[in-house]
Amino acid sequence: MTEKSNLEHILTSGQFAVTGELGPPKNGDMEVVRRKARILKGHVDAVNITDCQTAIVRMSSLTAGLIALSEGVEPVMQMTCRDRNRIAIQAEALGAEALGIKNLLCLTGDHQKFGNHPQAKGVFDMDSIQLLTMMRQMRDERRFQCGEEIKGPAPDFFLGAAANPFADPFEFRPRRLAKKVAAGARFIQTQIIYNVEKFARFMEMVRDLGLHEKVYILAGITPPKSLGMARYMKNYVPGLDVTDEVIQRMRDARDQRAEGIQIAVDIIQQVREIPGVKGVHIMAIEWEEAVPEIVKLAGLGPRPEPKGVEPRLVSQQAIELAVSQAGEQAKASIEQGLEQVKKELQVSTELLAKEKDRAAQRVAALEKELQEAREMVAEKKSETAMLVAELNEAKNLLKNAASALAAAPVQVQALNPAAAAGVALSGQEAALTSREQMALNALKQGLAALRKAMNLTEDQFEAIKQFLEAQFVLYLGAPMGIQAGQIPVQPVSTAVMPAQPVADVGATGRSPLQQGQVTASIATEKVEAAVSPVKPVTEPVSKPAAAVVTGAEGMPPCPEGLTQEEWRNKWLIRLIAKANVCLQRGDASGAKAFFEQVLALDAQNARAKAGLERIAAGLVPTPSAPTSEALKEAARPVAEVEQPKAEPKPAPEPVKEVKPEAPVQKSEEKAAVVAAPAVQAASQPLPKEQVSLAERCGQVSKDLFMEPCSASVRPVTIGDGPKAITVGGASTLPFHLFEGEMPYAPKVAYDVLDVQPDEWPDVLSRHYSDVFSDPARWAQKCVKEYGAEAICLSLVSTDPNGMNRPASEAVKTVTSVLNAVDCPLVLWGCGNAEKDTETLREVTSHLGNRRVCIAPLTDANYRSLGATALGMNLPVVAATPIDVNLAKQLNILLENLGLPLENVLMDPSIGAVGYGMEYTYSVIERIRLAALTQQDAKLAVPFICNIGREVWKAKETKIASSDSLGDQERRGILMEAITASALLLAGGDLLIMRHPKAIEMTNVLVQAMM
Amino acid sequence: MSNRITAFCCNYTLSASEAALKKEGLIPEGVTLRPLPCTGRLEIKDLLNAFVEGAEAVVVVGCEKDACHNLKGSVRAEKRVKHVKGMLKELGMSPDLIEMHFAPRKASEPLIRAVEEMSQRLKG
Amino acid sequence: MIIAERKPLNEIMDMLKGVSRLLVLGCRGCVAICSAGGDKEVEILASAIRLGCKKQGMGMEIDTDTYIRQCDPEYIEPLKERGRQYDAVLSMACGVGVNFIADLCPGVRVLPGLNTSFYGANLSSGEWKEMCAGCGACVLHLTGGLCPVARCAKRLSNGPCGGSVGGRCEIDPNVSCVWFAIHSKMQQMNRADDLMEIMPIRDWRTAGHGGPRSRRREDLLS
Repeated sequence: MTEKSNLEHILTSGQFAVTGELGPPKNGDMEVVRRKARILKGHVDAVNITDCQTAIVRMSSLTAGLIALSEGVEPVMQMTCRDRNRIAIQAEALGAEALGIKNLLCLTGDHQKFGNHPQAKGVFDMDSIQLLTMMRQMRDERRFQCGEEIKGPAPDFFLGAAANPFADPFEFRPRRLAKKVAAGARFIQTQIIYNVEKFARFMEMVRDLGLHEKVYILAGITPPKSLGMARYMKNYVPGLDVTDEVIQRMRDARDQRAEGIQIAVDIIQQVREIPGVKGVHIMAIEWEEAVPEIVKLAGLGPRPEPKGVEPRLVSQQAIELAVSQAGEQAKASIEQGLEQVKKELQVSTELLAKEKDRAAQRVAALEKELQEAREMVAEKKSETAMLVAELNEAKNLLKNAASALAAAPVQVQALNPAAAAGVALSGQEAALTSREQMALNALKQGLAALRKAMNLTEDQFEAIKQFLEAQFVLYLGAPMGIQAGQIPVQPVSTAVMPAQPVADVGATGRSPLQQGQVTASIATEKVEAAVSPVKPVTEPVSKPAAAVVTGAEGMPPCPEGLTQEEWRNKWLIRLIAKANVCLQRGDASGAKAFFEQVLALDAQNARAKAGLERIAAGLVPTPSAPTSEALKEAARPVAEVEQPKAEPKPAPEPVKEVKPEAPVQKSEEKAAVVAAPAVQAASQPLPKEQVSLAERCGQVSKDLFMEPCSASVRPVTIGDGPKAITVGGASTLPFHLFEGEMPYAPKVAYDVLDVQPDEWPDVLSRHYSDVFSDPARWAQKCVKEYGAEAICLSLVSTDPNGMNRPASEAVKTVTSVLNAVDCPLVLWGCGNAEKDTETLREVTSHLGNRRVCIAPLTDANYRSLGATALGMNLPVVAATPIDVNLAKQLNILLENLGLPLENVLMDPSIGAVGYGMEYTYSVIERIRLAALTQQDAKLAVPFICNIGREVWKAKETKIASSDSLGDQERRGILMEAITASALLLAGGDLLIMRHPKAIEMTNVLVQAMM
Repeated sequence: MSNRITAFCCNYTLSASEAALKKEGLIPEGVTLRPLPCTGRLEIKDLLNAFVEGAEAVVVVGCEKDACHNLKGSVRAEKRVKHVKGMLKELGMSPDLIEMHFAPRKASEPLIRAVEEMSQRLKG
Repeated sequence: MIIAERKPLNEIMDMLKGVSRLLVLGCRGCVAICSAGGDKEVEILASAIRLGCKKQGMGMEIDTDTYIRQCDPEYIEPLKERGRQYDAVLSMACGVGVNFIADLCPGVRVLPGLNTSFYGANLSSGEWKEMCAGCGACVLHLTGGLCPVARCAKRLSNGPCGGSVGGRCEIDPNVSCVWFAIHSKMQQMNRADDLMEIMPIRDWRTAGHGGPRSRRREDLLS
């Protein structure tokens, strides 16, 4: 057992300890360490030797510690984990033990980022707590970290650690201290304390954990050397809490150094009072001279005589001493010898004189001896002198070097404050004025397109233009017109002229051109119902404006928010517009009536005058009795012009980008207002886009909007003879007809069940209830009444979890349906893989030559059913659960079986709108993209989507009509039609659907898009 | 021969065709005008390729930041132009050889000025 | 996923000295997702190299392609033959892809186009952060799911160091202190006392300090 360290002795004996700090130099000069050690000697009980503090390369802690020890100062060797792994740390520890180091402070170490080698690899093999554990194990168990025994002297250190009461999280700090104590720390030196109050709170928590009885806590003290240093510590040293009071004291001080020392003294006196503080650790960074004064002023000096501070290695001083002692001894012995020789010479001379005569020959010999002796003496004398001179010179040199070093400037490494750069995002909202401007531009462009499309004469064009400009001003200016969700036509007709809804449709909003478009979808039927028995498609409205006249001056009351004058102007513009519409229509008398109204209100109106003149001059275009064909064609551009006004929320789009299906949506909105199920009427074809994308893109080069695909989907044919249908075959994404071919339009198959459905809502079943009992008649009805192009016969009654009808009965049903209709047939099993195998195998043997498609083939039954289909050359449906890879895998398996993919349709499993359709959509889209753009031949197969089944089981189709949810049937139809349209856009090729109206709408959409 | 400059602009800021602008003498002969549906459509690759295909400098003219037809198209283009500047620097070229400009709708003035400024830059 | 970034173009151009036929080869794995080496980046880099060549007056024929992954043998199989047609293949995969090509395709000179950075997560578009160090000895069950090895500057095992201030790390105020977060998380879960347990010194062999790592699963070996 080695002797206790002085520090341990002081602490264990209950004395208040004082430790200092010594930063080794950034060079190899021993004198720096010696000088600092001498300054501290006698004023502190031990001195911390830092280990490359702030990660700056300095003389190693062990070496500098040994130099300090040779000066009689006890070192506390610091050891960090930053630069050494467990091998190096233990090796150092063995060396330190051998050379008499007795205190070890275990630290993790400052991050290398702060130092002068930020590029260095930080080792951090362990942290400070693990380091303590390792050092304790070496001491107490005499084992290396790996467990191997240390044979011979093991490191036996008084172990210490650091603690920072000011870092976060504050409540964890005492607990981290507890971990260090548990790991073996016997003393703790804290971070520099300025905020004594916070430190006191920390100590209170430390006492609560009982730690003050297990570990000696030394409070960290640093005298601020200047205001600059205090500020730097406050702002740039993480985990240091410099109070404003300290900054203020430094700022106010006349002598900052004296004030700094006084601050340190004050803090020492305050922390001494805190129970559990067993000493102070004074860190006078590059200002060691301050330490003796602080210790003295704080009443901590003089320190007790250190015990056990002895260097084990002989120091340089000792060598010097030995040399000079040896020199003096040599000199003394030479002088002694000289004296003796002199005496002998005297005796010899006397003898010579007495025996002169007797020994003349002997004289000569004696003289010779004497000469030799003299020479020897001279030589020794000069040797001695030289030795003395050399010694003096060496001493001087050392002195000079020491003073030169003391004067060398010391640099403090500054930390770069990292500036946090926030990225500001700028929001964008288009100003209303620019929107209006844009809308107007859009209008103008639309007009130009209209004119081009219809080959209008100058006059016709002018008339429409005036009308539309007037409409534009009216709707954009009128306060009610721009509210979101309102249809531009409605507010005008209902709010302004509630009395004449019938005439209004024709007179205000709609030119006859528009009526073809208005009737384009189911919604219109309601308008028709509400409006009149008038058939607007074929019959141009011929009773226009006369009915509009209301009020004394023919002007309705001014709406709120407008001045009378503004309203009058608007009204005038409207009247002129109406007149122009009449003119355009060839209705001279109607136009005249409107113009006259204008003049009645504003006698000077030039437009009205001009109009009347034109009527008088007979310049009215003859009514060309537009055919429905022409109307249809004309409908598109006008409808598009309306678009910017209809949707004020997003930035208005120019005419060319309006989607052709926009009118459907708009009519739908209108439909919601009137509640009456009107699903029987036939849908009109949707207007088609007439101008090619290339034309609409103008100067933009083709490769910017075209991404042609490099592969195509296989076409698959179902059924036989003239009624056979083919789907797939596309070499482009759905309906991207500008990029590639879509030789076959998507098709819809009517879903027919082999048993009366019991869960269909009445709004669906009412269309088929008369034929429920007989699937053959059901199929017939679909074909004859609704024009079905294909039938899907769903064999639901074969389900073993349901009716479990045997295969033989399925054969009967299938045969009867096959006999009843000659359109293509899909046979859809119950979904139970085993039963489907049984049923479909049986059924296929009774098909004769009919090319019926069998479904679904899953990974569980594809082998048996695939073999059957292969044998009979039947198309099949490969069904997988919404996954690209599974779909591909099943196709590969089928192909491996020998079944050509030309006979395969994919059912990727779909969900209805509101029931996961987006997931379905994404999978279908990804499969199709892989097929078309990445030439994934295994996925180049058409999709079949069993939509009806999914939609009509959704609860929304079964909830009765209500105010909030609207009409039940309409709701169901729309859910089915919207699901269908979305999946068509994703890539659906053959859809299985149920409601005749939904199917009709889907077909209308397909026709318009092709 | 004037310097070869490729000018990308969007459909909304383009007011006249390249031929018309050249006829008026508003832009020099060496300038190639490349209209796009939106400058947000410009990829980093397209900007680099303009240089590869012979342009000495590139200018991009998009909608004003708060009035882009596609809301953020021109802001995206600006970010990509900035990225390309960095790449030019890495290749030892001047980052000033590409510049982003913002222009109101259908105003040819900013485009003409942007091209002019770039020509001056190349000459200076 | 593995996060990577393109090497500086000047470094790439230096690598390509003397190359007259080049294949820029992307990877649709991690590097495509972190927008460093997918189809799009391949095209960008090819264009940049063309521009670099033009500027230096070098003639170079550049082809581009992107494989599904460069870290599975079946995907790089075609490169064994194809790669020989080029003076160099500039791989835009992570370092794994470059090594794998070098291992499996003799006669093909493969060069790295990316610097492989770390295993990270996509915080938001254009922003990634290291979340795992692949140390091979996971302690996340002890630290509330937050990794002190990957996310602490000093890889501490036993709590925040004295530089933790306001939840920020001392090395950079933009870096959060993971130990601060671990402490808060454990407190929320009423498990703060678990942190009093001293975590023993780690065995770094699994982290690659025991030599290059590999793994075998007998049940999967063919």
